[in-house]
Amino acid sequence: MTLTARRPKSHGALEASLDDAAQRPAVRYEARHITKAFGGALALSDVSVAFEPGEIHTLCGENGAGKSTLLKVMAGIHQPDDGEIVLGGETLHALTPRSAQLRGIYLVPQEPTLMANLSALENLFVGILPRGRLRFTVDWKQMERSAGEFFSQVGLEIDPREPASTLSIAQQQLLECARALAHRCNIIFFDEPTSPLTAREADVLFAVMRQLRERQFTLGFISHRLDEVLEISDRITVLRDSRLVTEMTAAGASRDAIVSAMVGHDIAQRQRPHREISTQPTVLELRGLSHPPEFSDVSFTVGRGEVVGLAGLVGSGRTEIAEAIFGLRPSQGTVLLDGKPFAHRSPHRSVVAGLIYLPEDRGHNGVFANVQLTRNITAAVIPKLQRAGPLLLPAEEREMAERAAERTRVVAPSLEAPMSSLSGGNQQRAMFSRWLLAQPRVAIFDEPTRGVDVGAKEDIYKIIDEISASGIAVLMISSELEELVFVCDRVIAIYEGRPVAEVVGDEITLERLGTLIVGEQAK
Amino acid sequence: MTAVSQSLGRAPARPGTRAPRSSALRRFVRRRELLLVIITVAVFLITDAVNSGFGTGGYISFMLADAMPLAILAVGQTIVCLVRGIDLSVAGVLGMVAVSTGFLAQDHGASVWLMLPLALGMGIGLGVINGLFVVFARIPPIIVTLGTLIVYQGVQELICASRAVETLPPMYAKLGNDNFLPDIPYMLVPGVLVTVVVALILWRTAWGRSLYAVGSNAEAAFRAGIRVKWVLISAYTVCGMLAGLGGLAFLVHYDSADSQSGLSTSINLSSIAAALIGGTLLTGGKGGVVGSFIAALFLEVTIQAVIVLGVPQVWDQAAVGTLLLAAILVNRYQASGRSLSQALAGPLRSRWQPGHGGAQ
Amino acid sequence: MATWARWGTVSVAVEKQARPRSERRFGTDRRWVFSLVFILVVELLFFNFAVSSFWGGGWGSSVSMLGDGENFLFTSMIALGVMFVIFAGDIDLSVGAMSGFAGVMMAEFHLGGMNIWVAVVLAVAIAALIGLIQGLIITYFKLESLLVTLAGWFILQSAALAWEGAVPPYGFPKHFDSLLGTGTVAGTVPNQLVIFAILALLATLIVHRTRFGRQLVLVGHNRDAAGYAGVRVSVTRIRAFVLSATFAGIAGMCIAATYSTADDNLGPTLLLPAITAVVLGGVDIFGGAGLVPGVIVASFILGWLTPGLLQDGVSDTWASIAIGVLLLGSLTVKGITDRRQGVSMLDRLRARSATATPGAPPPAPDAT
Repeated sequence: MTLTARRPKSHGALEASLDDAAQRPAVRYEARHITKAFGGALALSDVSVAFEPGEIHTLCGENGAGKSTLLKVMAGIHQPDDGEIVLGGETLHALTPRSAQLRGIYLVPQEPTLMANLSALENLFVGILPRGRLRFTVDWKQMERSAGEFFSQVGLEIDPREPASTLSIAQQQLLECARALAHRCNIIFFDEPTSPLTAREADVLFAVMRQLRERQFTLGFISHRLDEVLEISDRITVLRDSRLVTEMTAAGASRDAIVSAMVGHDIAQRQRPHREISTQPTVLELRGLSHPPEFSDVSFTVGRGEVVGLAGLVGSGRTEIAEAIFGLRPSQGTVLLDGKPFAHRSPHRSVVAGLIYLPEDRGHNGVFANVQLTRNITAAVIPKLQRAGPLLLPAEEREMAERAAERTRVVAPSLEAPMSSLSGGNQQRAMFSRWLLAQPRVAIFDEPTRGVDVGAKEDIYKIIDEISASGIAVLMISSELEELVFVCDRVIAIYEGRPVAEVVGDEITLERLGTLIVGEQAK
Repeated sequence: MTAVSQSLGRAPARPGTRAPRSSALRRFVRRRELLLVIITVAVFLITDAVNSGFGTGGYISFMLADAMPLAILAVGQTIVCLVRGIDLSVAGVLGMVAVSTGFLAQDHGASVWLMLPLALGMGIGLGVINGLFVVFARIPPIIVTLGTLIVYQGVQELICASRAVETLPPMYAKLGNDNFLPDIPYMLVPGVLVTVVVALILWRTAWGRSLYAVGSNAEAAFRAGIRVKWVLISAYTVCGMLAGLGGLAFLVHYDSADSQSGLSTSINLSSIAAALIGGTLLTGGKGGVVGSFIAALFLEVTIQAVIVLGVPQVWDQAAVGTLLLAAILVNRYQASGRSLSQALAGPLRSRWQPGHGGAQ
Repeated sequence: MATWARWGTVSVAVEKQARPRSERRFGTDRRWVFSLVFILVVELLFFNFAVSSFWGGGWGSSVSMLGDGENFLFTSMIALGVMFVIFAGDIDLSVGAMSGFAGVMMAEFHLGGMNIWVAVVLAVAIAALIGLIQGLIITYFKLESLLVTLAGWFILQSAALAWEGAVPPYGFPKHFDSLLGTGTVAGTVPNQLVIFAILALLATLIVHRTRFGRQLVLVGHNRDAAGYAGVRVSVTRIRAFVLSATFAGIAGMCIAATYSTADDNLGPTLLLPAITAVVLGGVDIFGGAGLVPGVIVASFILGWLTPGLLQDGVSDTWASIAIGVLLLGSLTVKGITDRRQGVSMLDRLRARSATATPGAPPPAPDAT
């Protein structure tokens, strides 16, 4: 390493950490019997995982299985309720993000947590800004000198003085990696880094990870894309419902083995039910809907009682298309409802017109966390609530909400309980009941099973089934291809903002969708 | 290493995601400070052309001196704005310090130099109180400083007890209004000194950079090992300290102080206005004190120009208000990366956009 | 939808299990109002014993507690108005200046020869219009309400000063001064109290019982989620600003009537106590939570505190300091009792105790 030679006279924190790192040994990092609960909901139960140096160890599991929580506990972001964390034989107590980084542990979070207004340079060194002679001053020159090394190690070619907000997501991910290196961390966890990346961008990240593996770094990884898991992992641990299910080496792992461990039963049992393909009158039609660069020239139809899936990677533009239909974003092109153009769309006008949208980010865009369940359910139909003169009638509203909650089988302590006291699955059921109250003709469901436990998932599929059976046109977006295969009558694959193929009926298979969404035409 | 960078080199970035490189000159021209200087000079020249009395040395030095209490307050306010805060209590601190130092000077003839550490000390103490409430009671800064403003102003009135500071040792008026060089008032020294020192601190020290880090993303700053609580408390403390200094400057410049000092002049809100006009964002993490200093001068020149041009003085507040509105409009669209004309043309294209959420 | 009928067969799933924790949020709002009522009663009892003249010569006499209303009820009206805006997650700093400006407008209209009541209606209407403009600017350009209303304050104050000229306008008809100002109903209840009671009832019903109120609270609680649910966020916020300006205008009329003159310089004098009342009343400054009765009770606590202390021989200044201390103290207490992030607090406590005893062995895995 030529770094130290380039900086002949500097002192301070960075220097110290550089020297540490030069001798920082390859080390095993272990979680033993970790238990962690959030407000009564168990996130991890007696989980033990060991990360070995020179190995990429991948955690697999469905959403909510506890993968992220485990990495966060090991990076000092959450404190475990029980169990211990062992670094090379030494038990760590009361780990904080800071103390974890000082010991060489770094978590590259799911969404990069950069400081948008600050330069890439400063983001790289924040927390360990190289100091000048006076200790409290910042040595900008030295920062600029040493930054190049870290940027080139991860293959970043950017102007280090531009604010981080101008970087693409992929560049931000790489900047996070560079930051881990700048902090001299040799245990690096990647929490679903590839989900917002295109396949090519992910390959760049994997090249960096392989290089770090060569250097005997201890690497942890989370991904939902099984192909890349099999491609890059040396060891795979599967979690399900907060518990460790199995651990396997990459050599002994197969796609089916991982999937069946993740879902808890043989994949074969979840066969796609055969459905009649019938032609129903078109309810929703898109003609050349565009908003470059997010998506362009999107045209398709959804018929009455039909479930149409939008398959695509995160960042492929599928959510943006849905939000444009609902009127949350501007777009060119035409949306037709029952054959009539629906212009000047806004969420309000959409709801009035019978077009509803269940947002993907339930926490931020869906629920009112500290508001009563009743009011969460009636939120979309406030103009239609029964009144005496101008005054609302709480009893009638309550009854209305109760009926809606029954239909989607919401389990709650009471109708007056705040939404935050419900489990993820029940929150989502309540969201469904909110939208059913609006009596839609077209329903767009964006990631309807995200953050929902396994049992509730099946139930949500059933609810969607019932909704479509009642004649509502359903457009469903999901990252989990299995559920698109399971639920949809027709699937449209989106790649980099464009529809690339339409698959109908029994042609909808995992393999077919899997190849389509990464931009390859199925053979 | 080479393998990695090559592969990235081959990977085409998605359209519009590549970071644009911009020259140092461009970056300089885009800076708010330059824009403000140009506008200030333009206002000055236009007014001078209409009314030749405006450009005389006496008037210039008066304006420079007159703007300094506000400039010093604005520097402090900027520091708090950088960490996503706001300090409504600066007027209370200013008033309290002005009357307490004023009475000591009036009753005991104490010198300004003796008053300086007292003013700074009082400011620090009052600022720490703000910071502690913000951090430990977790009350929003606007409410905390609203509450302390009420209390500080009450204390100010108590100190006055229906008296006022009217006769000060001659040294005070000399420092407050005289020049030490032709047309350069003494008052300019503390103002410029504070601005330069704080600007250097913000740019060159770890503490200064941590202000930006915390204001930009407190969660990320915490994870990066920055002691967020300490940074917040210290920001309010420094703001209080500068408000204390501003109080002394106020006393010296006006050569008097009473129970309404700071309250009756709108210096409190003007300090916020100056910070924002200077290019600091209320949403934190962006801005600087040089802009605030120039903005204070700009406000002063504008208000004086309004007076000189024969508009009744009552409209000076409206001038500040209008400039504030214009500044936040420009800030808003600089932050969103669109040009102002674009922005004015079509913010209604999507009347409501996700991502501007309220409380979580 | 007819097809929903078949879902009716699904059994009732809303379980009535006892889970007091989940009720906490709404419990705290209500408990806060009860504590405020308790504080108000204690305050009145204290002054009853401490200040012999506090109750005056009986209901309605000029020095009575009720009669004191004319010194603070207009502040309470402004508090009710700005409360709408705070519920929506915004803030309106222009209300104080708005009252002054409305008063000056009304006075100038009247002195210009207009019938006093026409002038009153016109002035309140123009105030509402200014509120509408502020709301439009804030939502159209997506600017922080804090700054726009700050600018509005400056501009309104200048405008009021400029309009009235050298001498504040004065001299209104007797019946105006009496009806909106110092008059009483049947010699006991001050007219202003009646006006305030009507406004308070109106505000309570608007927030808690109308469609607009429901939307207001949801928008304040989570603006994004409200938008996704089809609530017209901008319209709701603008309406709140209009209501705020209207209430401020009405308060401006009462002030003019009480003092029989229009006062231009009311910005800071009215704004701070009004916001204090709202926040002390338990409305979340970030929007979306709180109860209107809390604001009403809080405005009385603050209103009677000043005259009570004054008659107790305490100076005006101490009374205002007491208000500031009350604001900060009560919010600190509220923040501690009502901390939403219970889990992270617990985590922090755990972390702290662990640091205190670094050598202590970790708890056994099966300890719980």
